[in-house]
Amino acid sequence: MSPPVRETLYVRFHPERCQGCASCLKVCPTKAIRIRGRKSLCLVDRCIGCGACIGACAAGAITAAVHPVEGIGAGHTAIALVSPVLYAQFPNVMPREVLKALRRLGFHHTIDSSIFLEMFQFAAAEFIRRNRTAAEAPWPLISPVCPAVVRLIAFKFPRLLAHVLPVLRPVALMAREVRDTLLPRIAARGLPAVLYYINPCPTMGAMRTPPGSPPLPLTEVSIGINELYPALRRAVEEAVAEAEPFGREGFEFETCTTGNASLVAMSGGEIATMRIEASMAVSGMQETTAYLSKIEMGLFRDVEYFELRTCREGCLGGVLNAVDKYLAKSNIHRMIHIYGLGRRIPRQSILRLYDRGCFHPEQSPLALAEIFADRKPPLTLAQAAEIERLLGELPGYGCGACGAPDCPTFAEDVVRGLAERDDCVWLSAGTREIRSGRRKDERR
Amino acid sequence: MASVTKRFPLRARDFLHAGEASIQVQAFLKTMRLDPGLIRRIAICSYEAEMNAVIHGGNGELEMTLAEDRIVIEVRDEGAGIADIELAMQPGYSTADETAREMGFGAGMGLPNMKTHADELELASAPGRGTRARMIFRRRPPQEKTP
Ligand SMILES: Nc1ncnc2c1ncn2[C@@H]1O[C@H](COP(=O)(O)OP(=O)(O)O)[C@@H](O)[C@H]1O
Ligand code: SF4
Ligand SMILES: [Mg+2]
Repeated sequence: MSPPVRETLYVRFHPERCQGCASCLKVCPTKAIRIRGRKSLCLVDRCIGCGACIGACAAGAITAAVHPVEGIGAGHTAIALVSPVLYAQFPNVMPREVLKALRRLGFHHTIDSSIFLEMFQFAAAEFIRRNRTAAEAPWPLISPVCPAVVRLIAFKFPRLLAHVLPVLRPVALMAREVRDTLLPRIAARGLPAVLYYINPCPTMGAMRTPPGSPPLPLTEVSIGINELYPALRRAVEEAVAEAEPFGREGFEFETCTTGNASLVAMSGGEIATMRIEASMAVSGMQETTAYLSKIEMGLFRDVEYFELRTCREGCLGGVLNAVDKYLAKSNIHRMIHIYGLGRRIPRQSILRLYDRGCFHPEQSPLALAEIFADRKPPLTLAQAAEIERLLGELPGYGCGACGAPDCPTFAEDVVRGLAERDDCVWLSAGTREIRSGRRKDERR
Repeated sequence: MASVTKRFPLRARDFLHAGEASIQVQAFLKTMRLDPGLIRRIAICSYEAEMNAVIHGGNGELEMTLAEDRIVIEVRDEGAGIADIELAMQPGYSTADETAREMGFGAGMGLPNMKTHADELELASAPGRGTRARMIFRRRPPQEKTP
């Protein structure tokens, strides 16, 4: 196991705020967190960036490793990539107003993701349609949209990486479009460009470029919706009050919002309009893990496509949102009521792109196995037997006082030499003897 | 020889939790880095036997033993038992009720699948005496069984 640290690619631990309450231990899907000296820390290469620990920490001792929201647009051209989850934070406000408000905050360009979501959905359905009879694709295919799901697969279910739909994710399509069409247009300004992903989750991390890497044509950073929200809310109110027209600089896909896209922010919304015969949507970390286990067992082979989201209710349940997920959902329902559902892009034009291979990812999802695989060395049979024996001595309460998420993990830590037997309060106090009326010292 | 045994309780008609014991067996065998093909076969058999106990049988227990040379899955239940084992083993034979069928069970392929995927299957049952399905999977057979 890697050395424990206070910062992973996706989250930061702040020991000075940590109360040692153990809430974060319980929710981590890869059991990457331990508490030592009453402060939480993370086994860094087990972090998949789902953000569950951030949501569980009432003390604010775990935060997302995102880029700060200060200085947007200062000395650079700021381009915002906006997902429908952002719109869902504002009741009775149209996406256009939110985009206008972003400009007030310093963004020079605001890119709505609707078209790219629609392109992705089309390509996904097309891939399934073409492979349906060929029986080439491993069924069921799994949506590549949530990065936490894909990393969870790489970590816990590497065999299922072959099920991840090999189609470029909507954000990748969006970033490519910006690179290909927007960047050349703004190059004349002579300013560096920064692409801001406004995210509901820490799954992208701060995307710091490793030292010594070649300079990019543009920097990509990720910021949290919650950090942008207070200022954005004020700007939205102003934008609505002034009803100013959209800037002339408007880029064609910047303002194009659709009901279909709004749906994608919530669980089931990706598949709802995809026209696939047999599909299922599952949300929540526990549920997603359970379904992946079953898929791995060979169940659900008659399902063509699984939309999985580690956040309950979908991306509007992401830990970096500003408003409650159920309020956000109600906002989306209202938005759909106004926009209605329906596609924007003609089938023929996407079909041409599809045939040119424009949706094909350069890197196979299988490559993720290298990055996110579980690196714990395998247990020997003798070690496994020792863990089982130790488990028989443990109370099974999963109280977390030992600093491990549950008794089985603690037993494993002890056998691997990462924790001491006496870290368990029950073992060290000789609780069993106390219960059966005999004290440790009396036995001597 | 070193071995590890894990036991999981099973509850009759508990469709919500049915399958979880097999999921845990599968997860454990993965941490032990067993051959993925072998794990798959074990998972399929374990799941079928677990579901049979829950759907047709009664309360019971799933027991997994991992030894150096083999894995043994034994599922015991205290249900109604099977009157005619040979008939139950026929592909397509099922007495699954309406509820189970609505949930997609009752294809009558559980026992036949267990037979194909396990290296050994021993089914012991009698009316009113419950059912015990014991399956053995060898870890280093001269040749991997590929059904
Ligand atoms: N544990 C059990 N207890 C009682 N009856 C069982 C048990 N396992 C299997 N059976 C009987 O054998 C039949 C065939 O089982 P199986 O091949 O798994 O098909 P299915 O579960 O789809 O009915 C069942 O319908 C049931 O009548
Ligand atoms: S469900 Fe959505 S918000 Fe949550 S981790 Fe996945 S992509 Fe991020
Ligand atoms: Mg069956």
